[in-house]
Amino acid sequence: MATSTASKPCKDRRQVLVMRFTAGERVAHWVHFIAFTILLGTGMFLYMPALRPFAVGEAGEASRLAHRAAAVLFMAAPLVYLIWSPRDFFYSLREALTWGPDDLGWLRAAWGYYTRGDTARMPPQGKYNAGQKFNALTQIITFILFVVSGLIMWFGRGVVSPAIFVGSVIVHDLSVIATVALFILHIYLVAVHPLMRESITAMFEGTVTEEFAREHHGKWLAEQEQERVYRRCRDE
Amino acid sequence: MSRLAMLFDASRCIGCKSCQVACKQWWGLPASETTQVGTYENPTDLEPNTWARVTFHEYEANGQFQWLFLAWGCVHCTQAACVDVCPTGALKHNALGFVSLERELCNGCGYCSQACPFKVPRMETVNLLTGEARASKCTFCQDRATNGLTPACVKTCPPGALEWGERDALLEKAHARVEWLQSRGYDQAQVYGETELGGLGRLFVLTAPPEAYGLPVNPQYSTLVASWQQVVQPLGYLAVAATTLGLAFNWLATRRARLSNIEAVEPDATEESEA
Repeated sequence: MATSTASKPCKDRRQVLVMRFTAGERVAHWVHFIAFTILLGTGMFLYMPALRPFAVGEAGEASRLAHRAAAVLFMAAPLVYLIWSPRDFFYSLREALTWGPDDLGWLRAAWGYYTRGDTARMPPQGKYNAGQKFNALTQIITFILFVVSGLIMWFGRGVVSPAIFVGSVIVHDLSVIATVALFILHIYLVAVHPLMRESITAMFEGTVTEEFAREHHGKWLAEQEQERVYRRCRDE
Repeated sequence: MSRLAMLFDASRCIGCKSCQVACKQWWGLPASETTQVGTYENPTDLEPNTWARVTFHEYEANGQFQWLFLAWGCVHCTQAACVDVCPTGALKHNALGFVSLERELCNGCGYCSQACPFKVPRMETVNLLTGEARASKCTFCQDRATNGLTPACVKTCPPGALEWGERDALLEKAHARVEWLQSRGYDQAQVYGETELGGLGRLFVLTAPPEAYGLPVNPQYSTLVASWQQVVQPLGYLAVAATTLGLAFNWLATRRARLSNIEAVEPDATEESEA
């Protein structure tokens, strides 16, 4: 059913590439990644007593500046996405917020996949599977929490009440805990997990093989086949 | 060494502000330009440049008007929220028992200024955009105290309202003074700071209830501050450990599944791709 619907058949169907992320999406992702990594690294200096030497003196001054510069980058990332790829921005937002029977199916099959790598009972998924939607929702919520609590700590001292300030420190930290756990999971899935190596190519080059797309995002691939747009052969 | 402390006896204070001036002199702190706002307090609040100050309070009891003075500054709590929230170790409990501040270790986060139940630490903001700031507060003249001298304010106090010494001895003195004051008709005379927040390093003999001096009656170590240290931080380590363990298990499980999968499909792999 697959090769025949390609706009131009490739010699080897494993060479058929499907465009998964546009340039705007990829740039926004990596801006977010770089900002998050800097923020996490410099933030840890205040979180972990063992890293105190990095929080004082010239190192402390540099990390304080880096944290603020990265914060601006962090806040800019979604804007890059929105301005560069508005269509994908809203498509992805809608996808992440729309939960259907296939997401429940994914959640039901997730345990088998987690413990045995069993994909048999996994219903075909859209551009984002339920796990990715959960990640996206957490990212959206913690983004808001990070920005609000961060701005309060940056500019709000003496303006807001002490309870709100101290509360912001805690909200900031709780957001770190949630996102760090997801960050580790995310890195693991794209770089370590034995069945998903290809997804990192999608974020570098924008494409995945049709085979990967069918296995992991069958419903989405079917949409793309109807539109026949995001598709090309390797080396063409 | 037993804990050193400061005793302020309000019944002896004459409101001359010598302590305030001595503090500025010893630490080389510039005076702030102020305007008359209808009070003898000057400046009207602690500042990055003003670590000690005398507060003035009007109080009426038994139909009699009293003018109360209080030598105010950091009270050096035993359960010190500022020490517990300080992420750089700039604020610490000194071996002599008081809360010291190493300004060169301060990175300007300002957590102390927001966590303190007495609102004592003040932030000097050098640059709001870069976040450059420095906390400041009374350190009981840590340089003098650790070298066997009394703090500058104590040294200078003309009526002897400020005293410096071993905390236990000062407490004894304070209670004796309160007893004497009560016998002289100051029935509201009391000691403040003996048990508050685990016991303060600055003890007070007051002739009126603490509220009359603007002192919190039952100062509390904020539960928000406590939860940051005791719940949120350990939770972070736990979350990272649990995530890593969970993924290690998944890696082993998935790898085994993939290996057996490859063995199963290897003979007719090309067929499979056409299926």
